[in-house]
Amino acid sequence: MAVGALFAAATGCGPREPVVKIGFVSPLTGDQASPGQDLLKGAQLAIAQAQAEGPILPGYRLELVALDDQRSPTQAVAAAKKLVSDPDVLAVVGHLNSSCTMPASAIYHQGRLLQISPVSSNPQISRQGFDTFYRTCATDDLQGPAAARFAVKELAARTVVILDDMTTYGRGLANEFEKELTALGGRVLMHEGITQGDKDFTPLLTKIKSLQPDLLYFAGMFPEGALLIRQRYDLGVGGHFLGGDGLYDPTLILLATPQAADGIYATTIGADIRQVPTAQEFVKAYEAAYGPVGAYSAYAYEAARLVLWAIKTAGRKDRQAVLAAMKTLTDYPGVFGRQSFDERGDSRIRDIGLFTVRDGRFVFLKTVSVE
Amino acid sequence: MTPFQVFLQQLANGLTIGSIYALIALGYTMVYGVIQLINFAHGEVFMVGAYVGLSACLWLGLEGVAPGGAMAWGFVGVVGASILGCALLGLAVERLAYRPLRRAPRLTALITAIGLSFFLQNAVMLVYGATDRRFPALVPSVRWNLGGATVTTLQLVIWAAAGLMMAGLQVLVMRTRLGKAMRATAQDPTACWLLGIPVDRIISVTFAIGSSLAAVGGVLFGLYYHTVNFHDGYLIGLKAFTAAVLGGIGNIPGAMVGGLLLGVLETLGAGYLSAQWKHVFAFVVLVVLLLFKPTGLLGERVADRA
Repeated sequence: MAVGALFAAATGCGPREPVVKIGFVSPLTGDQASPGQDLLKGAQLAIAQAQAEGPILPGYRLELVALDDQRSPTQAVAAAKKLVSDPDVLAVVGHLNSSCTMPASAIYHQGRLLQISPVSSNPQISRQGFDTFYRTCATDDLQGPAAARFAVKELAARTVVILDDMTTYGRGLANEFEKELTALGGRVLMHEGITQGDKDFTPLLTKIKSLQPDLLYFAGMFPEGALLIRQRYDLGVGGHFLGGDGLYDPTLILLATPQAADGIYATTIGADIRQVPTAQEFVKAYEAAYGPVGAYSAYAYEAARLVLWAIKTAGRKDRQAVLAAMKTLTDYPGVFGRQSFDERGDSRIRDIGLFTVRDGRFVFLKTVSVE
Repeated sequence: MTPFQVFLQQLANGLTIGSIYALIALGYTMVYGVIQLINFAHGEVFMVGAYVGLSACLWLGLEGVAPGGAMAWGFVGVVGASILGCALLGLAVERLAYRPLRRAPRLTALITAIGLSFFLQNAVMLVYGATDRRFPALVPSVRWNLGGATVTTLQLVIWAAAGLMMAGLQVLVMRTRLGKAMRATAQDPTACWLLGIPVDRIISVTFAIGSSLAAVGGVLFGLYYHTVNFHDGYLIGLKAFTAAVLGGIGNIPGAMVGGLLLGVLETLGAGYLSAQWKHVFAFVVLVVLLLFKPTGLLGERVADRA
């Protein structure tokens, strides 16, 4: 305590040590803390590796500022404003939820701050025309249709019930899925919303049971997904269960119980990290530092490395220069392969992964590449 | 499924969540009965009950115990620990937060209740962390067919536990000396005091009993939804309060009926109208009912005490 106070006093009096900061925002507390922490560890790994290599800009110390948005758009905006107003912050990795990234992206754009979102997959975000926005994942106008094709062609689902969590991500993904499904001749018996944080879905599932659909599609996150899966099992609702990347978290199986989760399907916004040859170095380094790789860790690692690359390429502590540098990026040797971005800031790597649950674990089925 | 089977299933769903609402609503109504206070911290007591149950599960090492006798005793132990923890919490809350304000204006106690609610939420967040915690499955998940409706063992346990607790409370309040003293205190604390009834102790006991019921509700809630979170007390507490008002606040059978009714109405609303409007539906019913019967279903108009 006393030593800490002395240290603080010493640094407070002396000249300020020059620092370059990278912002990081995701839910770090609340029901989505677990994927948020996965993202944070990915970003931390990239920063630690960069620090080990030496200063990113000559004479500057590198620092990661991690903020918590609790998956709430209001908190996300507050965090974004905080980062924009700190002149030492040169770029941001975040946020997790599309509903957070959407409003925050406008603030980063105003502040000329480079933002790379690891996993916010709603297509509308990059259609706002912000030159400050990039993302390292595939978008939901790829994920939704890929899921619909899988449902119709491989699961032979003709009648489908769609549920979403009424967020930017959930509703967006569900609509993309529905569009492709109806185009392929599938019939949507019902498309309903649920509320995030709600726990009792038995009335809705009872209604679904009476409709007897071939497939139940859920576009939302794993806390609600787990309860849906569990209550669906308890009520004995038949048919397949398919969901988006929001379900792809081991916590889903833990909360739903392996018994109830067995045989469900989930798509992801990228290939299975363990199958990608270029990712093996990352997987090894991550596992050595933090244990098993989380579903989203690699996206944040990639985003943080791209941000570092842009700062290094810019060569000076200037937000505009960092943005200009990011624009020149092509064929960056990334975790998922050669990384580059289209004019909207969306990654050109457009892989959708497909997983199922077997014996209490997510099992990789295949990668669907989308053009 | 025939439409009738769907209806039966919805009824079963509604009665399950309704039983939990009823257990919590009783605490609101009992405390209101004796000291005319809306104890807004009661929802948090329910949440603490779930967490104490979780701690007991972990402490007893009940994670993944094989079904059978050990599990049944484990369930009893967990409920017991939770009741004990919450009863003590209820006593402490009454003694430290409300008793010093007994003579203060009613709004003061109400604000204290809200402050206490924030305090308990944050205390639990600091102790247990801000993430969802998984609640171990103490009751094996076996499905039964009841006239076309699918019911799990856990639902039967929830109904049985809630029914037992409510019957026990009814006997306690109507048939024992303590219950008589509680009813007397509710009618006129000054007269009770003059007659030598230890009013302060009766109020304390009321808090302890109300909190115990919430504790059982908390454990059942954790078992039914498999997760607990430090802000679970807010919405469920609000619903239980609604149930207490629906049944007529201050009236014990009213809270039971109100809880079950709210659970069933909410479920039918979500099942037959729209799940998105589930919470709205419950509150619309409350408003409409209060328009026609301001005292709630079983509440009576009582003279306002100064």
